[in-house]
Amino acid sequence: MKKELTYTFALLLLLTFATFLIVNLPLDYFMKKCLILALFSVKFLLVTFQFMELKKSHSFWKISTITILFIINLIIIIS
Amino acid sequence: MELKDIKIRHKNFYYPPGGILMWIIIFLELFTFGMALVALAFSSKENLQLFHESSLHLNRTFGAINTIFLLASGFFVANAVHNFKEHNFYKASFQLKIAMLGGLLFIVLKSVEYYIKIEAGYLLDTNSFFTFYWLLTGFHIIHVVVGLVILFILNRNITKTSIEDVEASAAFWHMCDLIWLLLFPVLYLIF
Repeated sequence: MKKELTYTFALLLLLTFATFLIVNLPLDYFMKKCLILALFSVKFLLVTFQFMELKKSHSFWKISTITILFIINLIIIIS
Repeated sequence: MELKDIKIRHKNFYYPPGGILMWIIIFLELFTFGMALVALAFSSKENLQLFHESSLHLNRTFGAINTIFLLASGFFVANAVHNFKEHNFYKASFQLKIAMLGGLLFIVLKSVEYYIKIEAGYLLDTNSFFTFYWLLTGFHIIHVVVGLVILFILNRNITKTSIEDVEASAAFWHMCDLIWLLLFPVLYLIF
């Protein structure tokens, strides 16, 4: 379990670094926005499911978390 | 036996890790910050150029380093919870101290960033982007301070605390992480 946390942390650092790199890539605004939000979503899920141990909880909490994340992402993308 | 009991209870709807009340708070906080960011995104439509130029005045390196501070802090809190469950109180306490250090470093760096912004004249009333910036990051830093107080009290009473309290405190700290993960890309990177 502790190893799993270490791998999760390493992945989170990697994703943060990747987000930082994407900003400087010559991509169009919408594509950049989608990529940044996609990486944010993965980080968000890693923290909730691994660090907060949501993976052990009732499916209601898992589905609610994913739904909130989806709604926030969707509205930011279409706005 | 105790560990087994904890695992069984978390599958129960009423006992997510940290407790149902803490998760209601987490959802409400995420919803509130999320809606504020949605308002920011819609507000940017009126003057995208202004938001883009204002966003360029934010220090992305500071933002990324702060993200790392909070993620590292969350990692140590998650480890501390596991050590607490295994009754390694000394190790759990040590990890909580490192987590608190991460939180303190976040506040120090954020304060430096605030100082630079104030010196440069980017205040709450400069434009709508900076109004959002100050309000959102300000509310977030209040959460971090509250989280630090909770971790401090938890660490002081680590041998006398129940696993429910440890998990609830950890969940609050991770919530600060989550809010920052949401704020960082939208405020610093997207525009």
